[in-house]
Amino acid sequence: MRFTRFVRRVILLAVLPLLLFAIPAAASTSAVSAASKTTGTGWIRLAHLSPNTPAVDVYLYSFGDSSAQIVLHHVAYGDVAPYQQVAAGDYTVAMRAAGATASSAPVLSASVDVVAGHAYTVAGLGPESGLRLQVLDDQLTTPPGKALVRIIQASLKQNVVSVTWGGTTLNGNLAFGSVTSYQTVSPGTASLVVTGNGASTLASIPLAAGTVHTLVVLDGAKGLQVDNLLDAAGSGTDPSGGPATGFGGMAPRAPSSPLPWLMAIGAGLLLALAGGRRLRRVPAARS
Amino acid sequence: MPARRRTAALLLAAGLVVVGAGATGLVLTRHSEVPQAGTLQVLPAPTGPIEAAAPQGTAEVAQPVSLTIPAIGVRTSLVHLGLTSSGALQVPPTTAVAGWYTGSPRPGSIGSAVIAGHIDSYRGPGVFYRLSDLKRGDRVYVRRADGTLAVFEVTEVQMYAKDHFPTAAVYGPTPNAELRLITCGGTFDYTTRSYLSNTVVYATQVT
Repeated sequence: MRFTRFVRRVILLAVLPLLLFAIPAAASTSAVSAASKTTGTGWIRLAHLSPNTPAVDVYLYSFGDSSAQIVLHHVAYGDVAPYQQVAAGDYTVAMRAAGATASSAPVLSASVDVVAGHAYTVAGLGPESGLRLQVLDDQLTTPPGKALVRIIQASLKQNVVSVTWGGTTLNGNLAFGSVTSYQTVSPGTASLVVTGNGASTLASIPLAAGTVHTLVVLDGAKGLQVDNLLDAAGSGTDPSGGPATGFGGMAPRAPSSPLPWLMAIGAGLLLALAGGRRLRRVPAARS
Repeated sequence: MPARRRTAALLLAAGLVVVGAGATGLVLTRHSEVPQAGTLQVLPAPTGPIEAAAPQGTAEVAQPVSLTIPAIGVRTSLVHLGLTSSGALQVPPTTAVAGWYTGSPRPGSIGSAVIAGHIDSYRGPGVFYRLSDLKRGDRVYVRRADGTLAVFEVTEVQMYAKDHFPTAAVYGPTPNAELRLITCGGTFDYTTRSYLSNTVVYATQVT
């Protein structure tokens, strides 16, 4: 009888740790949280591309805020400011004559709705008499292994031009003040030829895979001039997936299957029970 | 003592020993210790001529040669990484250095420059062991071959399951000079001997 109680106690002691450790093991099943949405910012770039318009001061206002978030002074024809990273939302771009007070009425203004992850070029385009602020949506992705290119025609002297790159006609009849959409081209370095009525220019222009370009045709000191703006750049070839950057030496050990151990415990319990029973059946020898 | 009784007692004892061994094994496999990394040394920020972000990316910047992240004690030279035959990003040959993917823009020029490093080796921490500890606003310094320094600020730290790796967000074009620091993370799969996730730190050049 006493033996039976002893055996029970032993069994209880053996099983208790199982319960204690089985519960946390089951609860610690890890899950990787899905990526949260990114920072909620976009980009704005301001440009002056009106040949006969004097230099301007360009102001960027967050909608409803009367103090400017960004002020660019003395922006002259052909100037393209670097992209500014801004919080997504509504903005107003205002142009004033260079040196005019911030409180004076702007010559021109335009509103821009910046969507997170998108980039915009806000350019003063056209002749001074018909100056307008145009908001351009700048593309940030290229087809795999390709380059993207678009053209802004800002030459008033050669008011219609044709543009070829490496023998391929990008646009054969591009009027002053117009902007093409992006075209996909096979990457490489090739000569860009811009031809107007009375002038032409030739430049070696590299368009690498994974890059986005805007070519701006300008009136130069003499003849035509081309600015190659890099709108965005990524990897020429995107690696497939994430790299294998670990060997596991610092990894938390994943709990191995407890089954073999549980089976061993079970077998041991059966053995002990069998032994205990037999002990009860066989009377102890009395001396 | 009769032989039968002795056998029974032996049986009981053997059974208890097996139960004990099983319980010990179970407990030990649930609680094996992970080797501990050394204490964190916070490094001073490097000094040197700081190159302003190139205005429109036309200016060539020099190749990156070393990387310093004071907040997590990283100071390493940078090797060059290409792609494997299967198109994946090569990884540095040792776990002690990080590498720049030569197919990505150079750090400090327009675009998303990619730098990868190991989280660990078979037995200890690798160069990017603490990458996921970085916080928004932490500074990252890349020294270039001409001695100039490109300074970046962390904007985001993300962990992605490898089968949902956002290739476009990580490697795709950006309109400003950015940096992507990549290592492994998450659960380690002992059957394939690889981590199931990647940690990606996004940083933007500050001037």
